[in-house]
Amino acid sequence: MATIEVFDPPMCCSSGVCGPSVDPALARFSSALHWLANQRITVERFNLAQQPQAFAASEVVKTALKQYGNECLPLILLNGAVVSKGCYPTRDELARLAGVEPDQPVQARPATQLPVIQTKCC
Amino acid sequence: MTTEIRDSFLDNATRILFFTGKGGVGKTSLACAAAVSMAQQGKKVLLVSTDPASNLDEVLGVRLSGAPTAIPGADGLFALNIDPEAAAKAYRDRVIGPYRGVLPEASLNSMEEQLSGACTVEIAAFDEFTKLLGDAHATAGFDHIIFDTAPTGHTLRLLQLPAAWTGFIAENTTGTSCLGPLAGLETQKSLYDSSLQALTDASTTTLILVSRPERSSLAEANRTRAELAEMGIANQRLFLNGVFVAQDRSDAAACALEVRGHEALAGMPADLAKLPRIEVPLLPYAPMGVENLRSVFGGVSPVRKAVHNDRSDAIHSGLPLSGLIDELEKMGHGVVMTMGKGGVGKTTVASAIAIELAHRGHAVHLSTTDPAAHVAATVGGSVPNLSVSRIDPAAETRQYTEAVLAKAAPQLDEQGMALLAEDLRSPCTEEIAVFSAFARTVAEGEHAFVVLDTAPTGHTILLLDAAEAYHRDVTRTMSDVPDAVRQLLPRLRDADFTRVLLVTLPEATPVHEAARLQDDLQRAGIKPYAWVINQSFASDGFSDPVLVERGSREAPYIAEVRDRLATQFVVIPWKPEAPVGPELLRELAGHSRVFAGTSKG
Repeated sequence: MATIEVFDPPMCCSSGVCGPSVDPALARFSSALHWLANQRITVERFNLAQQPQAFAASEVVKTALKQYGNECLPLILLNGAVVSKGCYPTRDELARLAGVEPDQPVQARPATQLPVIQTKCC
Repeated sequence: MTTEIRDSFLDNATRILFFTGKGGVGKTSLACAAAVSMAQQGKKVLLVSTDPASNLDEVLGVRLSGAPTAIPGADGLFALNIDPEAAAKAYRDRVIGPYRGVLPEASLNSMEEQLSGACTVEIAAFDEFTKLLGDAHATAGFDHIIFDTAPTGHTLRLLQLPAAWTGFIAENTTGTSCLGPLAGLETQKSLYDSSLQALTDASTTTLILVSRPERSSLAEANRTRAELAEMGIANQRLFLNGVFVAQDRSDAAACALEVRGHEALAGMPADLAKLPRIEVPLLPYAPMGVENLRSVFGGVSPVRKAVHNDRSDAIHSGLPLSGLIDELEKMGHGVVMTMGKGGVGKTTVASAIAIELAHRGHAVHLSTTDPAAHVAATVGGSVPNLSVSRIDPAAETRQYTEAVLAKAAPQLDEQGMALLAEDLRSPCTEEIAVFSAFARTVAEGEHAFVVLDTAPTGHTILLLDAAEAYHRDVTRTMSDVPDAVRQLLPRLRDADFTRVLLVTLPEATPVHEAARLQDDLQRAGIKPYAWVINQSFASDGFSDPVLVERGSREAPYIAEVRDRLATQFVVIPWKPEAPVGPELLRELAGHSRVFAGTSKG
């Protein structure tokens, strides 16, 4: 069974509701992870401000932080290997990464407002 | 008060005592006096302030910290301040410390930055508070723990948190929700449970509602009584502080003050009147230091011989408060904020200025950030050109939640919306909602006059900290931040846009609290515009010994404001009639005087 680990930048909370404005990309990503967890993928998520021990315990993460700085966050690992750096993938992209069948339960939303930069990520 | 009732109360007090009430009613004085008297009976007592602008140090005459400090002259008495900033720093060190040298420096810095927000400050302080309340080890060895709680609005929030959070953790079904910086402390659920249990156990906790014999103060006490009784804190007492009987019947003002007290007590809400009650007479001085505090519950309060009454400050010729309003009016629009300790008359001063500006034909919005303020009641009716509102935390939180959900709806499916809705139940949401409303209100100053009455100092400090933390966030991220929030700190720092008035009474603690607030403001790049000394007895026309002595003790504090603190200041004389309603408020503005201070600020 596949394991996805997400290492977030330091945040008050992973949905971002605590900031001066709510970033819809974060809410959407939380929802996508939740969906993934329902597809029998093990999903773990760590926030640098709250679970630094998870960052310190992973040589892969520490190496990435040393090499790229905080810009590499959020860092996404599939079975321990980096598959995405510095952005929040969409649900479909996550599905592809994890090797599960993407479904279309809701109409695919236009991603115009979302800061997912395909060239830099995934 | 009979001595027996008082002694029986002090002898049979529960382990935990909370003193609560509207700002300025004497919570700190009575909490300190009770603590001193109980220590004198051989008990070991821990006195705690949860107010970010604590006055315990000044009243006890001892420099305190976040750890129990022994009070010289009162064997068995220890005191501490829960300092939210210090608690937050300790929390940061605890979280980050173990990773120094393990994670890159840049990562540690970004963690530190994230953990410097308002959420962390509030939550770290709350963490300390629950430890004292629910962790038996933290307070082992003390017979009594007395909380000199922050003024009411803030107290209620603090007290409601254990209930709200315990529920929040229990009902949180997905486990992904936002607990903010406290996420790592979910394991402390048992601590919250025991805190809540301690609060609601009548044999453990007594809530002492402190009130002046004044209508607004009694109404506030009754509101707190009902709210906390509903939360299960049923063991309550009423301490009536400042009960006054005129000794000189020829002093019309003194007789009027006595009548005002009688009338207020006669109209006391029935449920409040049913509570066991202890009365403390109006003292001719604010009790400071262990000796004076001991006399409060120690029997007869000594009326001291009046010292020489130096009225030179009050007989300076000067402009009326309307002169200060003339200066404010020249801005044409902008924000006027009243700040200071609870109970000094911020709402009254803000209302008087707003009404006078409106009377002069300007569009004025009068509002308040104080959840416990009664701006509309103070204005007492509709005034042309004046709109009155308040920033209501519950309403703002509801609106904010709805707005965020509406904005996110096009991008989320049903499940995503459910997750977001759950996250928005986080304790942080209220902070953000109130903060956004504050920023919006300040932004209105671009087009009209906004007169903003603020909550007592501690709450205001937290709000300003939030402004600075969010300002850092805003400059760091390019996220979609409302313009009002983006512009808040620059607007507050612009002396031609925002004018801060520090309101005080001519007494030690309110002057010194306002002085510390002035320092905090200046550190944040905000320079107060003027000081307003309210309710001065230092004028001719009193013959009652208590009132004369109060007036005679004002001179050093007025001088301190003039010489060391203010570039300009106003003195508003005490009025036998409570200044409520447009006529009395305009009269207050017209009769006050403004003086040039000699401080270069």
